[in-house]
Amino acid sequence: MPEQLAFTIEVFLNGLMAGVLYALVALGFVLIYKASGIFNYAQGVMALFAAMTLVGIQNGQVPFSHLINAILGTDVHHFGWHVHSAVAIVFTVAVMVLLAVCVQRFVFRHLVGQEPIILFMATIGLAYFLEGVADLMWGSEIKSLNVCATAGTCLPQGLNVWIDETTYNAFGYGFFIDNLDIVASIVAIILVVGLVMFAQYTKQGRAMRAVADDHQAALSVGVSLNFIWILVWSLAGFVALVAGIMWGAKSGVQFSLSLIALKALPVLMLGGFTSIPGAIVGGLIIGVGEKLFEFLIGAPFLGGATENWFAYMLALLFLVFRPQGLFGEKIIERV
Amino acid sequence: MNATAESYTTEDGRTIGPVVMEMKNITLRFGGVEAIKDISFDIREGEIRAIIGPNGAGKSSMLNVISGFYVPQEGEVWYKGSRRPSMRPYQVAEQGIARTFQNIALFEGMSVLDNVMTGRLTHMNTGLFAQSFWKGKAEQEEIANREVAEKIIDFLEIQAIRKTPVSRLSYGLKKRVELARALAAEPSILLLDEPMAGMNVEEKEDMSRFILDVNDEFGTTIALIEHDMGVVMDLSDRVVVMDYGKKIGDGTPDDVRNNQDVIDAYLGVAHD
Amino acid sequence: MAKPLTRADGPQSVPALLQRNATKFANAPAYREKEYGIWQSWTWAETHDEVQALALGLMNLGVNEGDFVAVIGRNRPYLYWAMIAAEMVGAVPVPLYQDANAEEMAYVLGHCGARFVIVGDQEQVDKVIEVQEGLHQFEHLIYLDPRGLRKYDHTTLHQYSHVQDQGRAAYDEYIKELDRRIAKLDYDSTGVMLYTSGTTGKPKGVVLSNRNVIETAKSSSEFDGLRQTDDILAYLPMAWVGDFIFSVGQAMWTGFCTNCPESAETMHVDLREIGPTYYFAPPRVFETQLTNVMIRMEDASPFKKRLFDYFMAHARKVGPSILDGKPVGGWDRLKYQLGELCIYGPLKNTLGFSRVRVGYTAGEAIGPEIFDFYRSLGINLKQLYGQTEATVFITAQPDGEVRSDTVGVTCPGVELKIADNGEVFYRSPGVFVEYYKNAESTAETKDAEGWVATGDAGFIEESSGHLRIIDRAKDVGQMADGSLFAPKYVENKLKFFPNILEVVVFGNGRDECTAFINIDLTAVGNWAERNNIGYASYQELARHPQVMDTIQSHVEEVNKSVAEDPMLSGCQVHRFVVLHKELDADDGELTRTRKVRRRIIEDKFHDIITALYDGSKSISTETEVTYEDGRKGSIKATLEVRDANVVSVASKMAAE
Repeated sequence: MPEQLAFTIEVFLNGLMAGVLYALVALGFVLIYKASGIFNYAQGVMALFAAMTLVGIQNGQVPFSHLINAILGTDVHHFGWHVHSAVAIVFTVAVMVLLAVCVQRFVFRHLVGQEPIILFMATIGLAYFLEGVADLMWGSEIKSLNVCATAGTCLPQGLNVWIDETTYNAFGYGFFIDNLDIVASIVAIILVVGLVMFAQYTKQGRAMRAVADDHQAALSVGVSLNFIWILVWSLAGFVALVAGIMWGAKSGVQFSLSLIALKALPVLMLGGFTSIPGAIVGGLIIGVGEKLFEFLIGAPFLGGATENWFAYMLALLFLVFRPQGLFGEKIIERV
Repeated sequence: MNATAESYTTEDGRTIGPVVMEMKNITLRFGGVEAIKDISFDIREGEIRAIIGPNGAGKSSMLNVISGFYVPQEGEVWYKGSRRPSMRPYQVAEQGIARTFQNIALFEGMSVLDNVMTGRLTHMNTGLFAQSFWKGKAEQEEIANREVAEKIIDFLEIQAIRKTPVSRLSYGLKKRVELARALAAEPSILLLDEPMAGMNVEEKEDMSRFILDVNDEFGTTIALIEHDMGVVMDLSDRVVVMDYGKKIGDGTPDDVRNNQDVIDAYLGVAHD
Repeated sequence: MAKPLTRADGPQSVPALLQRNATKFANAPAYREKEYGIWQSWTWAETHDEVQALALGLMNLGVNEGDFVAVIGRNRPYLYWAMIAAEMVGAVPVPLYQDANAEEMAYVLGHCGARFVIVGDQEQVDKVIEVQEGLHQFEHLIYLDPRGLRKYDHTTLHQYSHVQDQGRAAYDEYIKELDRRIAKLDYDSTGVMLYTSGTTGKPKGVVLSNRNVIETAKSSSEFDGLRQTDDILAYLPMAWVGDFIFSVGQAMWTGFCTNCPESAETMHVDLREIGPTYYFAPPRVFETQLTNVMIRMEDASPFKKRLFDYFMAHARKVGPSILDGKPVGGWDRLKYQLGELCIYGPLKNTLGFSRVRVGYTAGEAIGPEIFDFYRSLGINLKQLYGQTEATVFITAQPDGEVRSDTVGVTCPGVELKIADNGEVFYRSPGVFVEYYKNAESTAETKDAEGWVATGDAGFIEESSGHLRIIDRAKDVGQMADGSLFAPKYVENKLKFFPNILEVVVFGNGRDECTAFINIDLTAVGNWAERNNIGYASYQELARHPQVMDTIQSHVEEVNKSVAEDPMLSGCQVHRFVVLHKELDADDGELTRTRKVRRRIIEDKFHDIITALYDGSKSISTETEVTYEDGRKGSIKATLEVRDANVVSVASKMAAE
């Protein structure tokens, strides 16, 4: 196989996997936007918070240790225990659910019926607040995330040797594909499929779709809006956790993790804000598009570093020609 | 007059039971405007009760009070013999009261079948985990509820559109789907907000037939707001007349037709 | 010499066939119905149980041998079973049209003296109750769907399922008698009585014996290779002989499955879900579908449209040959396969025809384009010719010999004879027994040797052995120069064009033929929209010069085609007008089944006819119309009379 072609394919595959992760982040946004009409600026921070909580619980960190030390003059940092990853994940999910309940109760319950812009501003506030809490709770050092199922099998790092060798033997060119990326893609796909089926077939999923469609009507058929909102924020929190784990395992858990939210914006513009399949397809397109563009056009002709802005240019084009995105509902005004 | 506690049988063989819902001295204000001024009336089990009055009389507001969307500043709502505490609309729905909306509030993104299935939500009890697992309890429940939904679709003759997204339907069909969704909840009380609005003669006849069939076959108590006098006189057992937030008439259609206040306010010249 | 009646070499009655199927195909699906959104199905064994239960219940209600049991409703398995159950107890089932009004129903019920009537729902119950006063023999009414009937007086009104329950409870009491009655049925006993919708006079009750039904079912099933695994969709009126032969006769004989749709509105969805393998529809249905497909393709994106046109052209070229098993080049076949993937397959799926192995149409003549279209897609659409009195099958087209201008070769067991005046006669094991209580009509239609007059004029093509129907025998005439005048022949050719809805051709006893033409508002309106031609009314559109030009070109094309037929070349249309109003049944110009009433039209529009023959260029006329609510009005118009080019036949003959 000619080297250029093989390389292109490799870039394409890497793009797909990057796209899957983008889609995962975008999914959190879609869930909340669909059910409550809120654009959750805090989604990225939620991913950060979830990842930090996971690391903290796993390593037996004492939450708010700096604060406690400053006030009480003690010097505690760790509980001294080490919690198994699976258990830590369960606890983290519980924390995210608790977060969802609190957010619902203390913030959004009081803002029912407000303008979307006000709700959006509330999420901005939430983002900063959560960021600060995360800092206070767990400290701002970069942490490394080692999610392990058993003592030996952790989230894999490094290149997948098997693929490298097999493709080298078959095509004369070894594909460099990260193990972590593969695992992340599989997990993301499972998560997405699960969410879609949940929304489509289960009773709560149906109630969620009802709330996403028309609040008043949903109330009239007996759907508790609060319960659904808590459910949705919890799901978004869970999605954020997975996203946080995947990204965190790659480059460590640090505050720039919250910036992945920004990557989700172009995905949403492409796929539509209200469509789960749209988030997936949008993510894939952006992921592949980004990498391919850089490889084919950016590096040779434009001096490289196009990955930073390509997604936004693409999103801009879409805004002009197809504002509702690929899958979003076409805005037809019935006069 | 019929004593409130006793049941009686109508000419065409239906049984009207005792009072099932009572509004006592309801007053509803929006800022300085009094939409409902000290109104009291009752609804008996199994009857068709019409609420009529000129535009702006407060009829929809009254329906919203009954279904929990508005909370009256004064007065009490009594349901099945006890005072109903102030509750959210979804809790009212759980109590067995279903409603339709004047301007149609269907889930436009879903199909007709999905909309009718949402009406079954108050009857579905499996929890989040059982639902996530799906096989077993959740699936059985879904099948049982699907059967009920299909029977209602058959009853209202909307089989041909069961998979159509609701946004694509005509106004008359949307109204019928909304009725189907309300019926799917197997309510004790059905509240209809102007079910005939915007329909031609044939559609009105169809809708009237459905309303009568629902009351006849399922014994559902029905309270409806309606403007078409002919429909009101034909369908209802008793009528409440409102004007400017006040009750100006309450009784059988004949009583109301001959009531001078009602005639002055609303009917103009009383005619057949 | 009358032919001896065919003897049976197997089951001799429809109930006997059911018993055979219940053992031979016990677990195969026999009947399906879509209720509550899902297809409910019954195997042959289950069907037998259900039918037997109903039969026992009928006996319990007192049905005697020789009684008539009327069945009225839309196609539902339960009603087919009712017909079989009626025969089981020795009675005669009489299905009626469900959209007949009360008087029509009263006439039929009174004529046959039905003691029992089995109906589908409240609507039918109400109609029967309305007329029951005048029905002296009527006793019991059984209904299927209880909705709305709870409060009705149930002394002589019974629910179908209750009748079955009572039957099952009384099993021991009646089973011996039931078995005896079933055993008594043979080829000569009556299978069913069907009333022909009377276009002239009152409806007549056609009595069909078990021999008629089973022999026809047998030979037609063999003719087309029908299998036990086939599926049909039963949506045509149960009172029509065609539905009876397909859904009862052939179904019982081969053991295939009869599927009943949920309702008239859901029929297309149900058709697609079932994907029948054996299908019948009147020509108009196929035409409308084709028109719809074409109209929708007009609106498609240019890419799709090009793709469609390209592959359809290829299909027309090789499709029919592939279907007929004729040799086709490898490359062409490959392209066809590709087309199957992209175009034909999805199209057939949308139409519901993915699995059709045998498709039939009959009735009015059908245009060659229709045949070409469906056959090129790989749908084996064929024509058949029949009547109620023949238990349907007189002629049918075998696979591989399908043409639009013939009605096929004789079905197995059928003999054909052409009288001197051109009328077609037939004789077969399917010929009806008699018209009930109408010996006079029976004698007029069926002669001593068993030959039946069809009332159609036609001839048998020497080269192929196919029968070609020209026209109704009484409409076929002679032109002034003695050549054959067959108006329907020309009318049908013109009606093939989607722009033309209805045509009436005149010329009997005259020198040349002329025509009235009605444009098809949908098709022409569509074209007008597309070409930005505005119009405010049907009249205005009909008068538009471009429309007239288009019609003229159609007429001239037909003239060319007519000229090629040696027998009918005298029927070319020399002059025509486009009428200012559509011919309508409400105005008496058409029958309810949309057949043209020539005498009435000749009278009503005689001024236009005069203008056609005296050379006038235009004619002003005023016509009375009846509106839907019965009021009368009139329309004034000035019609342009156009000449059309006629191919000179004499010169053609000279050239030969």
